[in-house]
Amino acid sequence: MMDMVESANRIYAIKTTAKQERTVADNIEKVIREQKDIHVMAVMVPEELKGYVLVESPDSIARIEQLVELIPHARAVVQGSTALSEVEHFLVPKPVVSGITEGTIVEIIAGPFKGEKAVVKRIDSGKEEITVELYESMVPIPITVRGDSVRVVERSEDAS
Amino acid sequence: MVVRKKVLKVCRECHRVVEGEACVICGTSNLSDDWAGYVVIIDPEHSEIAKKMNITMAGRYALKVR
Repeated sequence: MMDMVESANRIYAIKTTAKQERTVADNIEKVIREQKDIHVMAVMVPEELKGYVLVESPDSIARIEQLVELIPHARAVVQGSTALSEVEHFLVPKPVVSGITEGTIVEIIAGPFKGEKAVVKRIDSGKEEITVELYESMVPIPITVRGDSVRVVERSEDAS
Repeated sequence: MVVRKKVLKVCRECHRVVEGEACVICGTSNLSDDWAGYVVIIDPEHSEIAKKMNITMAGRYALKVR
């Protein structure tokens, strides 16, 4: 049995080259498995946090700085550490349709209707899809798009 | 030279990142290539992240699977 206190684990942020977050996470795993001096329990790459990976480790920041030296595309350790409670909201990503209600005016930001404004008619939170009608179209044609391919322009409360 | 990265899939049941056509743990072929967020669990016994996510096996996982 190891005499390690669970709460001794700290979360460190490592700055990475843009779009290489996943590569860095894989490389950290590889390096950690090859040597025994640095201990890392888990590596987290939240979608929202671009250019950083979060490392869970019981070691001091000096050890993590050593680790960064060994990893390609890892740039530096952000000074200081944090507790898991500060970052655990990343583990449960909130559904993308959560801020959208019926009547919300959105702008479509991806797909063939990119740039068009539309009014939300129906929300499918299970599939994370919303059905919209284009604002400027003469005939109302319902279009179903993915929740993350729209941007909220105006909430329904303010629309009236 | 363009090096195309292999499209990894994720098991919809256990959120594990899978190479191939079936999940090695669940045995299911219910995979998704539309996923976001990435977690590498190295030591599930001592990891608080693994505990929060109810993960007991080391490996690579996705945070969100559609």
